[in-house]
Amino acid sequence: MSRLSYFVRRTAITVGLIFLVASALFFFFRAMPGDYSSLLIQQGMNPEQIAQLRADWGLDEPIYVQYYEYITNLLTGNAGQSFRFSQPVWELVAPRILNSFVLVAPAITATYIVGGLFGAYIGRRRGSPLEKSGIISVSVFHSIPDFFLGIMLIALFSSTLGIFPTSGMLSPATMLQVQDQAYWQRFLLPEFWRHYTLPFMTVLLYFMQYPTLIMRNSVVEVSDQEYLHYHRLKGLPESKLLRKIIRHASLPVITLYPISLAASISGLVLIEVVFNWPGIGQLLVSSVLARDFPVIQFVFLIAATWVIIGNFLVDLLYGVLDPRVSVAGDED
Amino acid sequence: MSIADKVHAYRNSDLAIIARRALENLLEERITRVAFVILAIILLMGLIGPAIAPYSYNTQQTTDDGDLMRYAEPSLEHPLGTNDRGEDVLSRLLYGARATLITGLLAGGLMMTIGLTVGMTAGYVGGRTESFLMRFVDFMYGIPFIPFAIVLITFFGAGFYTTVAILGLVLWRFIARVIRSQVLQINQRPYIMAARATGASTPWIMRKHILPNIANMAALFFAMGVGLAILEQAGLSFIGVTDPFTPTWGIMIRNANQAGRIAEAWWWTFPPGIMIALTVLSLYLLGRGYEGSSDDEVVV
Repeated sequence: MSRLSYFVRRTAITVGLIFLVASALFFFFRAMPGDYSSLLIQQGMNPEQIAQLRADWGLDEPIYVQYYEYITNLLTGNAGQSFRFSQPVWELVAPRILNSFVLVAPAITATYIVGGLFGAYIGRRRGSPLEKSGIISVSVFHSIPDFFLGIMLIALFSSTLGIFPTSGMLSPATMLQVQDQAYWQRFLLPEFWRHYTLPFMTVLLYFMQYPTLIMRNSVVEVSDQEYLHYHRLKGLPESKLLRKIIRHASLPVITLYPISLAASISGLVLIEVVFNWPGIGQLLVSSVLARDFPVIQFVFLIAATWVIIGNFLVDLLYGVLDPRVSVAGDED
Repeated sequence: MSIADKVHAYRNSDLAIIARRALENLLEERITRVAFVILAIILLMGLIGPAIAPYSYNTQQTTDDGDLMRYAEPSLEHPLGTNDRGEDVLSRLLYGARATLITGLLAGGLMMTIGLTVGMTAGYVGGRTESFLMRFVDFMYGIPFIPFAIVLITFFGAGFYTTVAILGLVLWRFIARVIRSQVLQINQRPYIMAARATGASTPWIMRKHILPNIANMAALFFAMGVGLAILEQAGLSFIGVTDPFTPTWGIMIRNANQAGRIAEAWWWTFPPGIMIALTVLSLYLLGRGYEGSSDDEVVV
């Protein structure tokens, strides 16, 4: 199979999977006891109004018509109305996707850079007390639940020392000031960065374990190879040797990076809740407590899409970075 | 067969020998010995915790004057103080050990059962069955766990066993993948081929030749699964989508955070978090011990 047809096939599978998740969500939420109108009855409407509403929303149509409507609406970017905020779901979710991304992408990237370098460093000092304590300390940070790590940081840096604010992305006063400006301008304020520090540190400490241990294993493995003995015999200084080793050892870490970025959406929910960060995870949790189904449905779709596209990019990356990876697909 | 014979036969069975040898290897390293002791203490807490707890987990403590003891600092009567409702924190911690361990062990057991079955079947049977099962595992990997659990719990309600079931039914995916690759390796060994050549049946080969070889690894993944289940359950409790009336450690952290006194009432916030971290870390170190004794790869 050629590279192009592999790419086309993987793209088709990815699109198919997203479509499958969207469909599953539709039928799942339709199978719920009662439908959306039952939520409105509680708000004190008379039967005529409810009947009118059901007709407006197309709830009287057969299920396949509703499904068709749902899919075409999704494709045109219409994800329905939020019950809680009475505004289009897409308008509600879009800025929050950006907020989540601004938090998670730099934090995971920094985790991989710091963890990778640390892993290489301790990998070269195999058997030393430093290696042992290094491995144990990254494991300790990964054993503490991420939200509890956040709580500990808040208790230390916000409540006790008062260096950083406890929660949110901007203080309410600043929020009012920046309302009329372009959205990206708020990311330039020093106040934003003060709010940013603690969630960033939480992600960094919690996720450090993967890149550190994988880099350490990979460096240990590469260090045993013969061409490195040759370089050492040649008299190459340790710093240059390390650079060579890192270049050869980093492939597993690089391929893991997008997987972590995709998978972090799950841990991100908790970190966003602890720091009250206005991202999609925090929106999901508050929507569940308010039973705002259109938002739950759409945010879950976004989260699943995030993971599916992440895995898709990993597959492509594997193919580019390591030519040995079979493009036939089904065999590992 | 007398009972003594049965015991003797059991002691000499494959699995018992493997387990004994693994345990000996495990206890060679100091760090795994420490982990082992910590786990034993935590298990003991789960077993007899509610019996030795000084108070009931939901009795509101009052002073001699009859006032509610809210946010009492640690004292001899209340070694870990009291919380916002005047409940004794140490008692809640001891009761919480049982609920947390039950969640971890049940969900971990469920994860291992499904993961082992799927992984072994895929690895041994191969062909269409394998590619179907592994595509399914890929699909499971596409599920962002916390959001998925939140959606499911919105439907099925926040029950204690609902949470256990969701944990077990989703998180088995990593076990299936590793067990399959392990079985694929074992399949290539000469004694499996020899057994097959002499006409041994599939169930026999699986039980007699494959299972003993992956037993260590299965135990390792059970330990990691229990740790993962406890972590994720704490996360779900923290968000507020689990049964709020069962005093797990996660619920305790949630309550402390909700009360907004994480730094002031440190005796309430920190013990449950530290207990979770200790449990998960010890399980992880035990798992690492299995691998560490054989080669120098560190388990991630």
